[in-house]
Amino acid sequence: MTDHVSSPVAPTGARPRKARKAGSAAADRGILSPSDWRRRGVGSWLRLSHVLLFAGLVVGGLGPILWLAKSAVTPTQDTLRTPMAIFPNGVDWANLATAWTRFEIDLYFYNTIVLALGSWLIQVLVAATGGYVLSVLRPAWGRVATALVLSTLFIPAVVLLVPLYLTVLDVPVVHVSLINSWWGVWLPAGASAFNVILVKRFFDNLPREIFEAARVDGAGPFRVAWSIVMPMSRPILGVVSVFAVIAAWKDFLWPLLVLRDPAKQPLSVRLPALANYVELDVFLAALAISTALPIVIFLVFQRMFLSGAGLGGAVKG
Amino acid sequence: MTTTVVSQPPDAPPAHAPVSSIMSARRRRRRTPVTWVRGGGLSTLILGLPLLVIFGLFSWFPIVRATVMSVQTTNLVTAPVYVGLDNFTAVLADPLLGTAVTNTLYFALLALVFGYPAPLVVAVLMSEVRRGKGVFSALAYLPVVVPPVVAVLLWKVFYDASPDGVFNTIVGWVGLGPFPWLQDPSWAMPSLVLEATWAAAGGTIIIYLAALTGVAPELYDAAEVDGAGVWRKVWHVTLPQLRGILFITLILQVIGTAQVFLEPYLFTNGGPANSTTTIMLMIYNYAFQFGDYGKATALSLMLAAVLAVLSTVYFKATSSWSK
Amino acid sequence: MTSSRRTLALTLVGALTLSALAACSSSDDEAAEGDTAATDEAVTIQVAMDEGLEQGAIDAFNERIEQFESEHENITVEAQEYNWVGTTFTADLAGGTLPDVFTVPFTDGRGLIERQQIADVSEQIAELPYAGDFSETVASAGQDADGKQWLVPIAAYGQGLHYNRALFEEAGLDPDAPPTTWDGIQEAARTISEKTGQAGYAEMTTSNTGGWILTTLVYSLGGRAESVDGETTTATINTPEYTEALEMLRSMRWEDDSMGSNFNHDWGTSHADFAAGKIGMFISGGGDYGNLVTQNAMPEADYGVTVLPLEGSDPAVLGGGTLAAVNAKATPAEQAAAVEWIDFYYMEKLTDEDAAVADAQVTADQGQPVGAPVLPVFDKATYDESQEWIADYVNVPLEQFAPYSDNIYDQPLAAEPPVATQDLYAALDPVVQAVLTDEDADIDQLLSDAETNIQGIIDAS
Repeated sequence: MTDHVSSPVAPTGARPRKARKAGSAAADRGILSPSDWRRRGVGSWLRLSHVLLFAGLVVGGLGPILWLAKSAVTPTQDTLRTPMAIFPNGVDWANLATAWTRFEIDLYFYNTIVLALGSWLIQVLVAATGGYVLSVLRPAWGRVATALVLSTLFIPAVVLLVPLYLTVLDVPVVHVSLINSWWGVWLPAGASAFNVILVKRFFDNLPREIFEAARVDGAGPFRVAWSIVMPMSRPILGVVSVFAVIAAWKDFLWPLLVLRDPAKQPLSVRLPALANYVELDVFLAALAISTALPIVIFLVFQRMFLSGAGLGGAVKG
Repeated sequence: MTTTVVSQPPDAPPAHAPVSSIMSARRRRRRTPVTWVRGGGLSTLILGLPLLVIFGLFSWFPIVRATVMSVQTTNLVTAPVYVGLDNFTAVLADPLLGTAVTNTLYFALLALVFGYPAPLVVAVLMSEVRRGKGVFSALAYLPVVVPPVVAVLLWKVFYDASPDGVFNTIVGWVGLGPFPWLQDPSWAMPSLVLEATWAAAGGTIIIYLAALTGVAPELYDAAEVDGAGVWRKVWHVTLPQLRGILFITLILQVIGTAQVFLEPYLFTNGGPANSTTTIMLMIYNYAFQFGDYGKATALSLMLAAVLAVLSTVYFKATSSWSK
Repeated sequence: MTSSRRTLALTLVGALTLSALAACSSSDDEAAEGDTAATDEAVTIQVAMDEGLEQGAIDAFNERIEQFESEHENITVEAQEYNWVGTTFTADLAGGTLPDVFTVPFTDGRGLIERQQIADVSEQIAELPYAGDFSETVASAGQDADGKQWLVPIAAYGQGLHYNRALFEEAGLDPDAPPTTWDGIQEAARTISEKTGQAGYAEMTTSNTGGWILTTLVYSLGGRAESVDGETTTATINTPEYTEALEMLRSMRWEDDSMGSNFNHDWGTSHADFAAGKIGMFISGGGDYGNLVTQNAMPEADYGVTVLPLEGSDPAVLGGGTLAAVNAKATPAEQAAAVEWIDFYYMEKLTDEDAAVADAQVTADQGQPVGAPVLPVFDKATYDESQEWIADYVNVPLEQFAPYSDNIYDQPLAAEPPVATQDLYAALDPVVQAVLTDEDADIDQLLSDAETNIQGIIDAS
């Protein structure tokens, strides 16, 4: 549903490190040279711009989130009348507990996580086996399959929305409706051409002699997959995993259509549905709680996120 | 001439050729059932099954189905009826289509104006930060971590158009406003784009940052030898080096914005007065509000045709640049 | 890789199980088809329960389920959260995710029958003792062309003007004497807005509600949205009445600035904001008290409601209501159980004294409102009688309803536009939005465009 991801930066991103090792004298410099930094005008101008940039990032990046945190524990009337005042009439911690029970946040967090994990599993399964078959085993039908997979890369998710929905309503051959079933979200997520191509390209770059040697030693395709390809493809599957989990976490329209039963919906679908029925302070508390977990995860795995986002290029959610 | 002579094996009389080809053909036919399995054909097929099944059911089949449905009318209850290009002409005749196309282009344009240069400037400045770079990038990336639905719902509160709204309070400090934000046809779209930019800019900044570290320092050294100042280095070294990634993010952004749904759906549901009705929202409404799946797929296909061209350009670009 | 392989296995097993289940249920269909009277067969039905309820209301609902199950031992009832929403209903219908019993507005009854998207339970409905007693206009909303009753009308309403008594008092207006003319409403809105800073009058504008409320105004000014002459239906949108209604909104919005700052209201947000004291007056169905005080926690003392002013020639109050429908996918046994549930949950309290008392008791015990006046689905006498049965349990401030309940039964009630109703409303949404958000909106142009547009929709349907 949600790909259009690119890997343009990966190669360029890898190059400089090597370059730096080679010319260690030139290391640790950017556009400005050390002498630029020492020049009065340039150096202080840049320092000033960094202070401004920092202030801007705090206001723009952190500001809305801090406001949300504040308003989550502020009574409704204060937020409505004086939204920028800080606790004019005290703090209302009970909001958080009310929001947790009113929105059944534990249930919807659980649903969100189950959806993300299932989508991840299917995506990794399809990408790993598909990439392996198309790149390493190369059966007679492989060329056609590769072409078909590639061609779907050019077909935007939007075309698929309606026919995919109707397909999920009544899956061909088995004639089952996946509406209100997690499979209805998991399985279509696996049809990500980007993942398959990414893994295939990765395998393409592995030395073929390894596979040939294993085959000569009598290892069948499964053995080769299990004991050679899997261990070697851990990094690329890591990249696929990051994309898969982020995409599943962000998805809104598809689970909205497929999961009509509130007990199965992820937070992203449930929050807007309940927006009309709860008081503003409790609603903001629910938003704050829903934001807290991803932020904590982000801060813990910050390095992985940032390098992953840079490595993989743009993810369109 | 000489080559033909050399390549002709002396001990292969032409009379034997058909026999050998018959034999090899027979051998191939005999291989089909048993040796195919022994040769790994079956296990290959089993390993390929997830790909074939998932793509078959959830990608290839729906694509074919979209094409079929676009020339049919169906309400899922009665049998579909072939109607030729009626769905396409009906969509093209819909007075809303022009509005939706304009709105979508307007969204894309605004998204470029708001969201294209700013991350580049921020990334270039950030790449020169020497201490605490991690804090800078974490701050920039933070909005991306906020679940998109939460971001929209939160900004909906910010956009409260009363004088006591969050943003109106802030602009009030400098004597401006109150502004109508989402409550005015000419304000609604820029407000949507502002939120979308906030939510996405961090990701773009991080991509640019990664690309900036890819610019070889030697190029700057060389520019300095030629006596280039800071601005000239940015203009003549940094930007040309980023050309590829800038082009790629541009196309990705256009492809992404053409499919924008979340913001118009949750913020305004297309209003006020259709000022934020995008093509995607129109497709959604055709299908899921009015149950007209034929028109919905017809419009989807038309949008897809445009986007496929962009995707092709994008793909060509990435494969040439990443080599 | 084991996990992946297991997933694959699970996928296949899952698919097989599902298809096996599907096979089972379809064979059930066939088995049950020949024998509709098999009511002692064990069945489970899903029934609609309002979306976003507080725990008290959920408990009340569950208690009703228990009572029902003890009366019908073979039927198991499961509550499923459901609200009719114009923008998602079609998807739910196509997706087959609706409960076995669900409710739709009067506007949708005919279309659902024509497209056979609901179960034909007319035979079971005809057997209900009160089947012949429905008031004619109400019954017709759920009947097919031959007059067979496919859906049960469970509630009817006439549009009313809801007002916030606290804001009236704060603005120096008499909450017991709400305005009785459109000029009076405009005047009161201006006063409320000036004195309290809240929206004096608010209007719904999205998810088809903009067209709905605009058409309500037009009816009360003597206009209609469609004129039906035999087979042909003509859209009558570009009319003096529509112009007058929009001009009225325009002057409240742009001259008086008495409509607040949110012009993006749908049914849910308008009720939430009204309950939160941010709206002085707004128009919606007269039976919305329950939603306002339970789902939106409006202080009871602040609530007031009155009838719409009727002006011009042949004005009428736009009426509508709710129909209970049975899912087309339900098996015959489930259909029978579903009609039992409709009879028990929605109808018995209107027709049977014991049931009425039992329902009122449970509802009142859970702190939910009892006795808010609505329009009768049968005749007025039956309705009055049923109100007497539960007099002891009435816990709503009836005197605050007086401006409405003293007059509504005398107002001429008119049904909603008969053809492509929701599409017509949807096409009018942007018209209302344009007038409220663009000071220079060209009302004549908007209406003439909308009329062309709507006529096209009518001709296509």
